[in-house]
Amino acid sequence: MKKNTDLIFLCCVLIALMFPLRSALAEETELPSAPDFTLKDVDGNTVCLDSLLKKGPVFMSFWALWCKMCIKELDALKPYYDEFDSLGLQMLAISQDKARAVAKVKPFALSHKWKYIVVLDPDNIMRDLYNVQAMPTSFIINQDKKIVFVHQGYKPGDEEIIVEKVRCLIEKKCQGDCKGKCHE
Amino acid sequence: MSRFTINSRLSVRFFKYYFKTRLSAIEIFCGLTKTCALMLMLLIITELVSAQDLRITGANHAEYWLFVDDRLDSADLKEHITEKLKLAVDYRDITMRGVFFFWDPSLYSLGKLYYFDYSVQYKKAPVNILYGRYYTTFGRGLCLNQFLDEDFNNDNSLFGLKVDFSLLKSQLTMLTGKPRNIFFEELKYTVKNDTTDQIRGVNLETGLLNFENDWGINTAIGGRYVRINRLTDLTPKAFTELFGGNFNFKIGPWENYFEYGRHWGTIPVVGGRLRGDGFLFTSGLSFSGFGVSVQYIDYTDIGFGGAGYRYNEPPTPIKSGISVNRGIDEIGYGISLLASPFDFLSLEIDNNKVSTHDPILSRFEQVFHFMEDMDGVLEQTLKAIFHPTDLSEVSFGVDHLIKQRIELPVQKKTETKPYIDLQYDFGSFFVETEFEQTTTQSDTSKYNDRAVSISIGKPEKFVLTLRGEKRDRVPEWLIPKLGEETFWPMLELSLDLTTRHNLRLRIGGEKGGLVCSGGVCRFEEPFRGVKAVLTSIF
Repeated sequence: MKKNTDLIFLCCVLIALMFPLRSALAEETELPSAPDFTLKDVDGNTVCLDSLLKKGPVFMSFWALWCKMCIKELDALKPYYDEFDSLGLQMLAISQDKARAVAKVKPFALSHKWKYIVVLDPDNIMRDLYNVQAMPTSFIINQDKKIVFVHQGYKPGDEEIIVEKVRCLIEKKCQGDCKGKCHE
Repeated sequence: MSRFTINSRLSVRFFKYYFKTRLSAIEIFCGLTKTCALMLMLLIITELVSAQDLRITGANHAEYWLFVDDRLDSADLKEHITEKLKLAVDYRDITMRGVFFFWDPSLYSLGKLYYFDYSVQYKKAPVNILYGRYYTTFGRGLCLNQFLDEDFNNDNSLFGLKVDFSLLKSQLTMLTGKPRNIFFEELKYTVKNDTTDQIRGVNLETGLLNFENDWGINTAIGGRYVRINRLTDLTPKAFTELFGGNFNFKIGPWENYFEYGRHWGTIPVVGGRLRGDGFLFTSGLSFSGFGVSVQYIDYTDIGFGGAGYRYNEPPTPIKSGISVNRGIDEIGYGISLLASPFDFLSLEIDNNKVSTHDPILSRFEQVFHFMEDMDGVLEQTLKAIFHPTDLSEVSFGVDHLIKQRIELPVQKKTETKPYIDLQYDFGSFFVETEFEQTTTQSDTSKYNDRAVSISIGKPEKFVLTLRGEKRDRVPEWLIPKLGEETFWPMLELSLDLTTRHNLRLRIGGEKGGLVCSGGVCRFEEPFRGVKAVLTSIF
C-alpha cells in the first residue's frame, strides 16, 4: 500500500471525528436540522416529518427483521410507549428491509405488540438521508426540527439513556440544568 | 507454524508494521499537518455555510484488516484498508451527495478499487429529480431491483437520471441509467458488470381505485416497463424488455399482494425472442400479539443481466437468503408464524422451501413437496424468547436446513443447529452467554461445530465478547475450500467512543463458508488476524 493511501485513510477518519466535536460545542440554535421525509407506513398511509412534528417531538429507530439488537431495542422501549405517547412523542420504527421482505414487516411488528408507527424504507432512502452506518441507530428530533440526539448500536441498558433524553426533552429542561445531557 | 506463534506475531507486527515500517515520523507529521489544515478548512466552511442555510452532514466507515492469507505458502501478514466517506450538502430544496470509497489490499494481485459517486437532487412536492448514482426497486423486484446491501457488501446501483411525480395517491417514476454491480467475494471487491448496458424504465403505482369503507377495504395497483440495451451486442433486436404489474388488496388485518412480470429477452448471438414469466404472491394476517405471513414464488427465465449479476431480483422465501437457480428457474413458498401469547413469551416458526421446476410433478407437488432428486432448499426454524424476569432473557431454538445440489460437489447437505442464549441485566452491566451446535450431514460425511461465547457489557460504554468454536472433524471435500483448521477463538471489543462513534476491534479466527443474502451467495474465506472498524455519523 502507498503512503498516500494511509494519509487519505487518516484524513477521512479525522474528518469523521471532527464534525461531532463541533456539534458538541454548538449552541442549541446550531444543532443540525432534521432532513424532511415522506414515507409509507405498513398500512399504506403517508407519514411525513412535518406533520409528525406538529403533534410533538419525534423518536425514530432504524431496524430490520434480521437485526437482533434492533428488535431488542424496540422491545425494550415498548413499556415506555404509553407514557411517551400521552406526552405527545411520536415514535417511529423505520424498517430497512428490502422489497423482498416487506410483506413480513407488519405481521412481525404486530406480533411483538409494537405500537410504534412502523414505516417502510425498502430503497434505504432514509438510511442515506440520516447517514445511518450501523443498525440500530436512533434519533430524537425536537419540535424545532433539530436533531438533539443520535445513538448508534444497542446494548441492554441503553434504553435508559434514550428514555432519559426523551424525558429531558419533553419536560423542557434542555434550556437549563440538563443542557449537556440533551445535546450531543 | 503454530496458532499461538501467529497470534503473538499479529499483535506485535500490527504496531511495527503500521508505525515503523510504513510511515516514518516525518511522513506522519506531514500527513497530520495536511489533515489539520483540511480540518481547519472544513471547520471554516461549515461555520460560513451554516449562516447561509446550508447543512453538511456525513458518515464514515473505516476498516483495517491485518491477517494471514492461507492461500499463500508465505506466512507474511496481509492488509486490507477499506474506507467509505459519505458527505451530503443540503441547500433548501437541493441536495448534493458524494461517496468516496477506496479499498486497498497489500496483495497487489487482488487489485485496488476506488470510486467517487455523486448525485444532485431537487425535491419539491410533487416533483423529485435526481441526477447521479441512485438505487431503486420497482414493485417487489420482479422487473427491476437495484439496491445497496452494505451489510453484505453488494452494491447494485444505476447512474443516470430519475424523476418522480407524486400526485393524487399515485407515484410515477421514470428513469434511465447505466448499472453497476460491486460485489465482495474471495477477499476482494470487483465490478461484476463492466458493460455498456443502458436501462430505461417507468413505474406507476396508484391508490386511486382505493375505496375506503367501514370494512377497511383498501386496494392499490401498479404497472411497470423496463428496457435494457447493449451497444456491443450485435444480435438482431439486442434488447431486453420486462413489464408487469401488481395488485394489493387489504381487508382489515388481512393483506394480499400479487405481482406478475414478463421478460422478453434476446437469445444471445443467434437472435430471436427469449420469454420468461414470474409470479409473486404474499399474504399476511396480523393482530396484536399474532402474525402470519405466506409467500409464493414461481418463475422461469425472469432474470436479466449477466451470469454473475442481475438487474432484477425475484425474492426468495428462504430466510437465510439461499437461492437455487436465481432468476432462471424457481418455485417455492414460505410460511412464517409469529406469536406473543404472553408478555414474557414470543414464538417464531418458519417453514420455507424453494426448488427448480419438475415438469413430471403437478404444480401443487412442485410447490409443497421436497423430493430427494430435486435441486432445492428446505428451511425450518423454531425460536422462542422467554423473559423469566424483567432483567433476564432466555432465547432458544433450532434451525434445520436441507440443501440439495447447492454446494457442489456435495449432493445433499443437512444442517441442524440447536442454540440457547442467556442474558442477564445487572443494571450497571450485563452478561450474555450463547451456546450452539451445528451438526452437518453431507452425503456420507458428518461433522459437528460447537460454539460458546460470553459477553460482558456496560450500557453506553463497551461490550467485550470471547468466543470459541470447534469442529470435531473435517471431511475431505471441505479441505480445499476451508482448510484443515478445527478451532477458531475470537476476542471482540466494541467501544462506544461517543454516541456517534463506535470502534470495533476483533482478533482471532473466523471459519468462513457460504454466506447468502437475498438469493446472492458468496464463499467467505477463513480469516485469522485482526479487524478494526470505526463507524461515525456527523
